[in-house]
Amino acid sequence: MTEPRILQNFLGYRAVIVTEAPSAVSQLEATLTKLGLSVSFARIDAGNVHLGEDVLSGHQTILFIDADINVTIEALGQDRPPQLPVIGLIGVEAPSRLKAIMRLGATATLRKPVYGGSVYSALFVGVNAFRQRRTLMLQLEEQERRRHGRRFVMKAVVALMRASGCDEDAAYDRLRRESMRQRLPIEEYCERFMRALPGAHEQTTESQGTTSTEKSKRGGT
Amino acid sequence: MAARRYRIGVLFSDSGPYGTVSRALRNGALLAFEELRQQGSAGVDLEPVVVDPAGEPAKYPELAARLLSQGIKHVVGCYTSSSRKEVIPHFEKHDALLWYPSHYEGFESSDNVVYTGAAPNQHIIPLIEYLLAHVGRRAYCVGSNYIWAWENNRILRESLTAAGGSVVAERYLAVGETDHQKVVRSIVEARPDFVFNTLIGTSAYTFFRDLRAACTARGLAQARDIPIASCSLSEPELAEIGPHAMDGHLSSSVYFSGIESATNHGFVQTYNQLFPGGPRVSADAESAYIAVRLLAASIASAQSDNVEAVRAAVIGQRFEAPQGPVWIDPHTNHTFLTPRIGRSNPSGEFDVLYAARQPVQPDPYLVQTTPRFASGVQQGRLRVVR
Repeated sequence: MTEPRILQNFLGYRAVIVTEAPSAVSQLEATLTKLGLSVSFARIDAGNVHLGEDVLSGHQTILFIDADINVTIEALGQDRPPQLPVIGLIGVEAPSRLKAIMRLGATATLRKPVYGGSVYSALFVGVNAFRQRRTLMLQLEEQERRRHGRRFVMKAVVALMRASGCDEDAAYDRLRRESMRQRLPIEEYCERFMRALPGAHEQTTESQGTTSTEKSKRGGT
Repeated sequence: MAARRYRIGVLFSDSGPYGTVSRALRNGALLAFEELRQQGSAGVDLEPVVVDPAGEPAKYPELAARLLSQGIKHVVGCYTSSSRKEVIPHFEKHDALLWYPSHYEGFESSDNVVYTGAAPNQHIIPLIEYLLAHVGRRAYCVGSNYIWAWENNRILRESLTAAGGSVVAERYLAVGETDHQKVVRSIVEARPDFVFNTLIGTSAYTFFRDLRAACTARGLAQARDIPIASCSLSEPELAEIGPHAMDGHLSSSVYFSGIESATNHGFVQTYNQLFPGGPRVSADAESAYIAVRLLAASIASAQSDNVEAVRAAVIGQRFEAPQGPVWIDPHTNHTFLTPRIGRSNPSGEFDVLYAARQPVQPDPYLVQTTPRFASGVQQGRLRVVR
């Protein structure tokens, strides 16, 4: 997985602003429009923020959240990793507010009232930091999955050595070649190899649910 | 009934490393004031209050604050981006308007500034398109070490890369640096298709002379073999370069003094009468002239110099400028202008090689032309595995 490219032109992106004080962010709205983004305000109703699934799914969407209101924290859920870039709008610079905005996944902030001259910088840093972090998380997930699968590689090497009498290197080469031919990660191929052996059920029951190569393929901004 | 008199600040440097261009800006503004005074019928009486920061960065905010504290609501001024950024907070504090006439690198759009110079899509993008179509794809970039050069080189690099071209080298020199021997030698050895010059002031003038001399010494015709392309190289600067190296350079600008039109001939004639000592009429002079004329028309229309009223009034103004019709884009406070490409001739003027068919909408953030992703991050490179 390569490092994400730096995004610099936000034409066609959508900004969703969550605030109860639109007058403090009028410059934000105006500048985002000049930068080619469409801007909308999230509906806040009886303390709840209504973000549609289309917003939360995150395709070309950036969320600006006012740190001075509490509702947003409940609406997004504190344990959920952010699926879209979040930029915090800071009024009171108190630790509780900053912590709240961090837990929502903010990768940049803007001070209220928002000054037009700082919007592009926050957008640029916020979105690109989000993209870098998401890439790192996906890489970590992929590494974790492969680490988990290494024991099947060891088991498969041993099984092949016993079955064919070859040495360790030859067994590994054969497994690797076959996994490449089938276009599978060697860990996944070895897990399948072990499952296919007679009496494999007992050996692999504890590993169920760990083979999905699709896990790391996610869309988003 | 006598028209009401309004005092207007004029903030340009008379000296310093970019004094030539800055004096052209000031002259253009003063020409407009004089023209309005003589016409008398414009319904507005503007009194210029001229101050001179002498090219010292710290003087700009100081003098801007002084003008604004006197109750002046409108100031025509600044050349460099750094000076503009220094004064903007004062205009915001006093809710005043800066009428900024210089071409610049974009990525700004303050409510307290009206921009009458070219935005990057009106100068660098047309230049790159011209270079790719008519000159070549291998560029050597030389610039003064500040934002104007950095940003223009970024735009050039991205456009060239997208077109399959390349940047042979990117060299920066301190503002005012005049020792170019090393970079000139490197250029002559590299033999790029063209040099992209973003040096300013005295650094630029000596560079033009040095590269010409180095090429001549090696039997090269510099203008033909290694042409220099610049954004906004102007007529007064050709005079500074001098007669032995002023010809054959490409420049992208919304105005050249040689534009054939009755309006322009009148403008050039008046300018030469008022300022016989120079600098020669140029895009900078025209842009400052446009700024004052649009300001005057807006104050006349608003019947007040109240900033909110003038800001609203300027949107509807359309002015027949020496370059052709100009008007303000309400979304960005920048001006619709007509891009042109010129090549300098031995008489110190430009022959116009290309002109856009109509004024082009300003796009200060380049949202219509900048690639989605920045270039420079190398990835996805394939290599042969045996």
